[in-house]
Amino acid sequence: MIKKQKNIISYAFDCILGYKMRTMVILITFLIATTMISSVLFVKDGLEKEAEISIEAAPDLTIQFLRGGRLEPIPISYINEISKIEGVEKVVPRIWGYVGISNYVFTIVGIDTSNISPLENFGLESGRFIKEGDRGKIVVGKLLANLLNLKVGDNVIFLNEAIQAKKYQVIGIFSDQTSIYTADMIIMSIEDARDFFNIPNGYASDLCVYINQRYRPSDIAVKMSTIPNLRVLDKDLLLRGYKVAYASRGGIFVTLWSIVLVAVALISLSQMIVVGQQSRFEVGLLKSFGFSTLDIIEVRLIESLVIGFFASSLGMILGYIYSLYLGAPGLIDILLGWYFLPREFRIPVFINWTTVFSIYSVTIFPLLIATVVPAWLNAITDPDIAMRRGIA
Amino acid sequence: MKKSRIIPIMSIIFTLLLILIIIINQVQWQNHEYYYELRRTIGLPSIAIGTNYEGTRNPLLDIFVRALYDVPGGHDYVVSSSFIDTPLKLKDFFERIPGFNMTVMREGK
Repeated sequence: MIKKQKNIISYAFDCILGYKMRTMVILITFLIATTMISSVLFVKDGLEKEAEISIEAAPDLTIQFLRGGRLEPIPISYINEISKIEGVEKVVPRIWGYVGISNYVFTIVGIDTSNISPLENFGLESGRFIKEGDRGKIVVGKLLANLLNLKVGDNVIFLNEAIQAKKYQVIGIFSDQTSIYTADMIIMSIEDARDFFNIPNGYASDLCVYINQRYRPSDIAVKMSTIPNLRVLDKDLLLRGYKVAYASRGGIFVTLWSIVLVAVALISLSQMIVVGQQSRFEVGLLKSFGFSTLDIIEVRLIESLVIGFFASSLGMILGYIYSLYLGAPGLIDILLGWYFLPREFRIPVFINWTTVFSIYSVTIFPLLIATVVPAWLNAITDPDIAMRRGIA
Repeated sequence: MKKSRIIPIMSIIFTLLLILIIIINQVQWQNHEYYYELRRTIGLPSIAIGTNYEGTRNPLLDIFVRALYDVPGGHDYVVSSSFIDTPLKLKDFFERIPGFNMTVMREGK
């Protein structure tokens, strides 16, 4: 029995090289398809993971002010009302917004400097982080630093929406390691941000609420639902929102890729049919030597498994290299859509076991199906007829 | 070694190499320096991939709305055109997310 299996496996291996054209066609088409899909999925998983990490560090609740369904600055007087709710530990006002420089849009974040510990590690490449009492000083991300060739100590002038020029001194530049989060950021004190965006005293962009660990943020959020004009976002909500955003982009690609996969499966099927016709005499001979129909199918299945694992594994390795070291040129635009990926940081690539098993299942399974049917049709023919047809 | 054994052996080698890459990748992510304090201090969600499009860093609502500017009716249009294919299969899509008009569902469904 074992010897028989050994012979079948050995014969299947010989067939892989014996039908060179079929092997090459299937290998190349599957390799291209697997490389493309794995590259996009690994990047999508990496971006999702980075977003998850950022959201984990976000405030438990973010409070925004809505009027007519649109966001407006929130009156700081809400802080008192929200602080009174049981379970609320701290409410911090935040001012932030955007500034256009060259063709890019940068995010200015004004932070409350009174809460910052000088001992904390903020991942700066050079200089220092904002501290209490700093006015007219900024910490910038790599994108802006490279765009304007900024160094610590340089002065920079930004124009705000009111076309007023505001001068700041660069006191720190974020490192490459933090670029996925900070590339487009300009950090300044909350007072400077208020001045830059012309936000009147008594207002902020939004409020960050930190909840005591004994309470659930969603329970506190429900208590806030009776306060007029507020929109309360909890971490879980943000996470789901961003996952949907990335999934929609990945979804477009997956749709395109499904079409490619069908084409690849059809190519495999046609190649298997061609091989089936070429191997009629051989199959007839094998059957006359005592091979059963199942043995013939087993031979073809072993061939397909070997070719499938070869192409899928190599494709995923190439997809990983293509994303991590080359930045997935061409494909990343489809995934990110109108988004822009600065060159200042490496694309995050995360390989998920689920993704790998999914890719294996959607590549190898259709290949096995495409193999079994022609092999079975070939194998059920009477050996004598098969050999006569093969010679003809 | 027989020539016919090359592809089967290579397929095993590539599969093992892939498993090794996955393990290394996962260990790298576990040991990755996230600068948690920095993220906690700044507090903005999302990541810096949208610098030519001003909605990306904004919590939730404006992710989609600001892409085509906030014109009347723009919200519905952008949100619905953002969801193509797979999100329709996501459980999250059907949950009630404030600001996402399409998530409103009838009671009892």
